[in-house]
Amino acid sequence: MGTPENNTVKKDYKIVRTATAFDCGGRCPLRFHVKEGKVIRIEGDDFEDKDNQLRSCLRCRALRQYIYHPDRLKFPLKRDGPKGSGKFKRISWDEALSEIAGKLKEVKEKYGNSSIFLAMGGGYQAALHDGMFAMIRLFTHFGGFSTHYGNVSSEGAVYATQTQYTSPFVGHSRPDLKNSKLIIMWGWDPARMISGSDTIYNLIQAKEMGIRIVCIDPRYTDSAVVLADQWIPIIPGTDTAMMVAMAYVMIKENLYDQAFLDKYTIGFNKFAEYVIGKEDGIPKTPEWAEEITSVPAETIRDLAREYATAKPAALMDCQGPARSATGELYNRCAMTLTAMTGNVGRHGGSAAGGLMGIPYGHMFFASRIPPPYRNPVETGLKSVRGSLDLQLRFQARCHINKIFDAILKGKEGGYPFDVKFAWFVNNNFLNQLGNANKAAEALKKLDYMVCAELWLTPTARYADIILPVASTAEKTDFTRPWPSGPYFLAINQVIEPLGECKSDLRIAEELADKLGLEEFEKYQDEEKALKFLIKLREDSRKNIRNTKEFWEKGIHRLDIGEPYVAFKEQIEDIENKPFATPSGKIEIFSQRIADLNDPENPPIPKYLERWEGRYDPLSKKYPIQLLSPHPKNRVHSELFLIDWLREVDPHVAWINPVDAEPRRIRDGDEILVFNDRGKITIKAWLTERIIPGVISIFEGAWYDPDENGIDRGGCVNTLTKDAYSPGGASALKSCLVDIKKFNGGA
Amino acid sequence: MQVGFYFDQTRCIGCSACAIACKDWHDIPAGSEHWMKILYNEEGKFPNVYVSYVINPCFQCEDPVCIPVCPVNAITKRIEDGIVTVDSETCIGKDECGSKCLKACPYKAPQFSSEKDAKMRKCNYCLDRHLEGKLPSCVESCRTHALDADTLENLKRKYGPIQEANNFQYSSRTKPAIIFKPKKT
Repeated sequence: MGTPENNTVKKDYKIVRTATAFDCGGRCPLRFHVKEGKVIRIEGDDFEDKDNQLRSCLRCRALRQYIYHPDRLKFPLKRDGPKGSGKFKRISWDEALSEIAGKLKEVKEKYGNSSIFLAMGGGYQAALHDGMFAMIRLFTHFGGFSTHYGNVSSEGAVYATQTQYTSPFVGHSRPDLKNSKLIIMWGWDPARMISGSDTIYNLIQAKEMGIRIVCIDPRYTDSAVVLADQWIPIIPGTDTAMMVAMAYVMIKENLYDQAFLDKYTIGFNKFAEYVIGKEDGIPKTPEWAEEITSVPAETIRDLAREYATAKPAALMDCQGPARSATGELYNRCAMTLTAMTGNVGRHGGSAAGGLMGIPYGHMFFASRIPPPYRNPVETGLKSVRGSLDLQLRFQARCHINKIFDAILKGKEGGYPFDVKFAWFVNNNFLNQLGNANKAAEALKKLDYMVCAELWLTPTARYADIILPVASTAEKTDFTRPWPSGPYFLAINQVIEPLGECKSDLRIAEELADKLGLEEFEKYQDEEKALKFLIKLREDSRKNIRNTKEFWEKGIHRLDIGEPYVAFKEQIEDIENKPFATPSGKIEIFSQRIADLNDPENPPIPKYLERWEGRYDPLSKKYPIQLLSPHPKNRVHSELFLIDWLREVDPHVAWINPVDAEPRRIRDGDEILVFNDRGKITIKAWLTERIIPGVISIFEGAWYDPDENGIDRGGCVNTLTKDAYSPGGASALKSCLVDIKKFNGGA
Repeated sequence: MQVGFYFDQTRCIGCSACAIACKDWHDIPAGSEHWMKILYNEEGKFPNVYVSYVINPCFQCEDPVCIPVCPVNAITKRIEDGIVTVDSETCIGKDECGSKCLKACPYKAPQFSSEKDAKMRKCNYCLDRHLEGKLPSCVESCRTHALDADTLENLKRKYGPIQEANNFQYSSRTKPAIIFKPKKT
């Protein structure tokens, strides 16, 4: 915590051990070289056991350009032109916070607290200075606020795991991959989407040990480049059909583990009836699946046999394919396959379920300063506890992918609130939720908007007031990784805040003063506050005993002995340690879902077609499916402006020559990608690495509409739909478009 | 003595963390100057596609052809470790001499910024780190441990004698100090 002990003095510079708090699947120890109060260089982990270093990716290697970028916001700004024009003038903190406080009081009095909307993202994943929790506390003290439900990334997987296991901790420690005999990477590209700092290296080690790895993905990813013994390209949105056909093969050839199913699951028979065709007259044969998925029947048959007999085998079903109109069914079906093969709770196996998390040092256990009491706007509602009824979640909230629709339509549109004041923190939602053009329209009409930001993002451009936030290098904090680990990281303050930047916590504290909220507790003594936050959760409390050493080393690695295996306890002793589901077993059939009586949310996992997939009639008009995977050179839209990162991975659309040639699109051409929601321009990259009929554009490039409404920034969400699946998955990958060569006109 | 690089082509995911670690360590802005680059190669037709990456630093050649072509003797090969260095003070700039070193190098290792009459700079095996007994920045930054650095002799002992890889041609004229684990086509 800025104590001299953690700073190694070298020649004419010192080294500060720290980390970042991006919404990133990696979380890496960093060493900042600091000279005369300025960062001059950055090095990574120097853990003596080199094979177990947590090496950062290119993004944190470029942090110096992020911290000192000339476009960093350094002063409070007030809008000085039409909304969205990007015209702002510098004002003082006092003026900014006084205006905001006045507006808040006015809105509260005129329209009530439900008109105050808090739009919260994951852009800062550390305990103390997290703006999300600072604002939850502030607005709770102020009488309450409206907000959103669900997340963009993993809601399909969350719903699926809640259904079948009722636990999100479905992962194994990464080194356990090396205990497998077969690893199936389904839609999973950890070379880019860093799901664990050490994940890609563990997979490489597994491969070099001779473990077979199969990659199922519409793209030949960089992970597949180094790992895949076999690449199985598949039509997006049809993964569940392939899984169902794999189940068919296992049932017909009696390759499944009946004893496991009897002891640990309920509802397999109902699933089997669907699979073999007893329920609907359609046997889900590999030939049936070939028609849908384009994967040859023999390939499906072979993989089913291989997966059923290679014991143990790890089916790793990434969350990506679940970001679709039927997302949760994909993860549910994967979990069903892991049960059929008896791979749950076993070393080298996998419980699937997409989340891949272990209950040590995990982000789901993140400590944050808790609100004093329940948000008054959300009291007196029907309990959501244990329920899988999404409608209960919307008693006072809107779905995250409907934020802008809710702002536009309000109560008349069936939403529980009319937004008059919105506070955006830790997010660039205009850019990162479905339908950016609708988002821009909503923000133009929104009465009043505050944005706490480091950058003039496409979202911030619509704000009335922008408050400049300090970067992680300018704060002291405590953080943990997303899914894996197990370890905790210390964020030591490296430099003084730039300009007049403040942390979100300090912003909330100062606004509390302006609002006269005397009961709002302040955390000015950071050392004390961080000790409290470390003690708040059992895993950090038990493990970080020596806090002084923790801040000096910058990391605390947990020794958990053998790799963690999800549900090992349940599998070893189901009588005394049942699953948390109503039946105490893995629920392949869910009565809770059956009770909802929604044919699009079936009680057993099924392959369903909804909208904007390959077989939607709309595909006659828009014949190309659009994928929007994580970029490697940004964390979503964060780091977009960093030149070092842009030059190593220019923003392009992956297009198979089969789709490009009839449209006379050549490699490097500027193309127009379009549908009824919007138009973007982007450079074409012709590659054999993508299945025909599909294009892929990495998410996070900044929305930049020209005078004709064409997004020249190539933001993929200008094209995606603001909709969700019955389980709440943000359906950004159910998206149809067409492409043509761009010649300057619309 | 001759130092060199080792590159495991079967492990490289093409992420370019090495290239950015290099730019950060040596404080090189984005633009035309790349001391370390990752080259991309794609072959085949969907779904039978082959992809490989290969590093492109200065390979600290045993017989560097950049040295004799330099009109002002700005380039030197250090006797003690074989690292090829350039004295940017002596270099007269790309326009003045017509980038003779760059034209001579089969690996396009000499680098120039876009500034007028920019002086040649290039990968120097992180000489400052090397003198402190540290590995080059690119090697320490590699997430998949695809890179190593040592004396060429040690590298050969550790990893074998292969000096060819996909999308790389060994020049027997310059003798680049590189050992590969190539990726099979």
